[in-house]
Amino acid sequence: MADARALEGIDITRSFGGFFALKGVSISVPAGEIRGVIGPNGAGKSTLMDILSGRADRWTGNVRMFGEDISASSVQQRRRAGLARSFQRTNIFPQLTVIDQLTIAARMAEIANVEEIMAELTLTALAHKRAAEISYGDQRRLDLALALIGRPKILLLDEPAAGLSIKESLDLAHTLKDLAARWGVTVLLVEHDMDVVFSICHRITVLHLGAVLAEGTPEEIRNVPDVVTAYLGSTT
Amino acid sequence: MSLRTVMVGPALARPVVAAAVAVATILIAALVAMMVQSELVMTLLTQAVITAILATGVGFLIRQNGVVSFGHAAFYGIACYTIVLTLRYGIAGPGLAIILALIIPTVVSFLLGLVIVRIPGIAFSMLTLAVGQAFFEFAMKARQVTGGEDGLSINLPARIFCMPTAWFQSPHSMFVISWAVLALIVLGLWFVAESPFGRLTAAIRENEERARFIGYETTLPRVLILALSAFVVSVAGVLFTLYNIFVSPDVLHWSLSGSALIMAIIGGPQVTWGPTVGAIVYFFAKDLVGDLTEHWQGIIGLILIAVTLVLPAGLGGALAKLWPRSTASG
Amino acid sequence: MLVQILNGLVYGGLLYIVSVGLVLIFGLRRIVNFAHGSLFMIGAYIGFSVAAMDGFWVAVLAAAVVMGLVGALLDLAVFQPLRRQDPIVTVLVTFGLLMVLEDFAQTIWGKDYLKMPVPPMLSGSVSIFGDSFPTYRLLVIVVAGAVALGLSIWLRASRIGLYIRASSVDQFTTAMQGVNTDRVSIVVVALGTALAGLSGTIAAPLLALSPSMGSDILIESFIVVVVGGLGSFAGAFVAAIVIGQVHNIGLVYLPWAATMIPFVLMVIVLVWRPTGIAGSHV
Repeated sequence: MADARALEGIDITRSFGGFFALKGVSISVPAGEIRGVIGPNGAGKSTLMDILSGRADRWTGNVRMFGEDISASSVQQRRRAGLARSFQRTNIFPQLTVIDQLTIAARMAEIANVEEIMAELTLTALAHKRAAEISYGDQRRLDLALALIGRPKILLLDEPAAGLSIKESLDLAHTLKDLAARWGVTVLLVEHDMDVVFSICHRITVLHLGAVLAEGTPEEIRNVPDVVTAYLGSTT
Repeated sequence: MSLRTVMVGPALARPVVAAAVAVATILIAALVAMMVQSELVMTLLTQAVITAILATGVGFLIRQNGVVSFGHAAFYGIACYTIVLTLRYGIAGPGLAIILALIIPTVVSFLLGLVIVRIPGIAFSMLTLAVGQAFFEFAMKARQVTGGEDGLSINLPARIFCMPTAWFQSPHSMFVISWAVLALIVLGLWFVAESPFGRLTAAIRENEERARFIGYETTLPRVLILALSAFVVSVAGVLFTLYNIFVSPDVLHWSLSGSALIMAIIGGPQVTWGPTVGAIVYFFAKDLVGDLTEHWQGIIGLILIAVTLVLPAGLGGALAKLWPRSTASG
Repeated sequence: MLVQILNGLVYGGLLYIVSVGLVLIFGLRRIVNFAHGSLFMIGAYIGFSVAAMDGFWVAVLAAAVVMGLVGALLDLAVFQPLRRQDPIVTVLVTFGLLMVLEDFAQTIWGKDYLKMPVPPMLSGSVSIFGDSFPTYRLLVIVVAGAVALGLSIWLRASRIGLYIRASSVDQFTTAMQGVNTDRVSIVVVALGTALAGLSGTIAAPLLALSPSMGSDILIESFIVVVVGGLGSFAGAFVAAIVIGQVHNIGLVYLPWAATMIPFVLMVIVLVWRPTGIAGSHV
């Protein structure tokens, strides 16, 4: 058999009327890899993320996880199978304390590693604070923590560094790379922050106008002329 | 009236304290009943307590599911009519009638809930107003069965569940019975809220999508909360029917749902005992205002507006802030 | 048979005019005005009182203008200040307002049912395909149709109309286009409440006036708005017609079953499509 493909999106298309959000996009991530997905706004990154995580409807194609077709699986089923995601717009439980919400998440996970996750993401000091009362940066890390509980096999991260300072972003990138290596997690990372992407991703897929423009290692991508003109020239 | 101290200590302490407080309030209620002579005051208190149970159900739904129902009197009324119709048509004796009156509204709410719990906030409120009123209209129109506008009365035997029926008819004793039931319900709901299930539904209320993404089915827990709130409300209906031995479509009218909602808001749904405070305040204010002017409806409307805008946590919420809080639940 | 259908259109027409006001307000402000039925009721009472002095048409105008002004005030004092809060806050406040207005109506006009006479010049009947039909009822249908047509044209042809339609679909982006949301919303809300008042006065000769008529029409218009799709004008139109027919069939044939039909319809529609028939945002 071919090498273990942790996550595969096969010929994914999503369109409204005549407009194609995604057109025949295929992506294949081997186990343990950190794959970056970059592209200008409107390239289809969020749509791809939604389809892979089970949040979108009305699309064609397949999604496979470790060889098994999960295209029709519900969000809950995917989570139980080990696929977790974080959100670009912070999606946490405002009135619950940090530890309460992580505990609730832990109850559905194989490993209830609340303390471990809080330590890794420097949330331990904030354990008994309500999510609404902590800083934006802390909330972003909490959003991520909710996805990391139980050491999922596959992690879909939607702009985890959005709105973070340079230092916070790089700290986060470092933590992610470290955790992914230690736990053997496969990561799909949608990001605008090129420093984060280029520092931790093994491979990068570039999307543009709903299709895959290029795919390769960070060095390869940096040198593709189309990518440079379409995207890298104008970083956020 | 329902005071609660929060102790920081072993996890066991809080439930024990809560239970102790509940028992204490029952004893205080018994004392009140023994000391207060006025039939009028006791009647008012009894009505307030029974309605407080209704308000508590409405408030619990707001708290755990984050939705506002304008139609909860439907479950109250269904319980009332179940007892009355069961007895009038000789379907069963009072004991079984009471049990049916608790089961039927709960089952109805469960089935309805499967359908309506997915409906978002404001549309849900509108729907509950309409559905609640549908039951009212039905009771009004189905004269042959329900007696229509005139209502139906019942005859109760001398004993129910080994208790003298007279206990349910006298304001003094009914006050204590109803208060005991209320205290147990508030305590029970508090336990539910503190339990993992309660915390889960609070999380779902906060962010249903994320709850799904961390692996939870979100529909069934919310339906169960709705069913529980309907059960609480049906208990109130049972007590009302035993006390009044007469029901009319008024027990289904949206104005009763509205009043219960207002009591819950005034008292504050954040704490389980908040609606009780609201109900007592409501009844005494109504009595007081009624002596002075005929404009109770306008006044309670203004009070609702004022509380909503100025004191969103309600009186109960404001009171609860005077004690140290260790968790989000009250 | 024709008369039955026409009678259904009368009620449906009244329902439409009231409901469309709710749709206007919801489409723009994303809130539901629980006092809307009360505005219908007050409009009916104002119409009643003014008609006794100055005649029917002045009454209609007076009711519409007064309720329009009330709406403008409502927008300025309630909807706008509360727009950043949870929509349920506005619901509760307008619910409180509902009670205040019912008390107000009771104070001024009393609790007893009042009857407003049909204006003399419209009190006859016309012959339609051989059947005789009251002129006044025909007027109601005509007015409802005119409102529907007028609104439809206005929404499509005017700038404010374009804005309303855009806002119904995507409030956030529309607000960012630099249009003065607040000034437009005063006009729109005022129009919505004016329509409620107008409908009230027109309905007055047909229904018995009582402070509770507000809550009755409120519940029915909720059903219309939800079944039609919160925020959809065309949906409200269709739903109002359907429910008007059902209401009428119920009056004649199966009173107690028919009262349940609109509610059942509402639940069915919400199950099938949680955003109503035409589909919109909640």
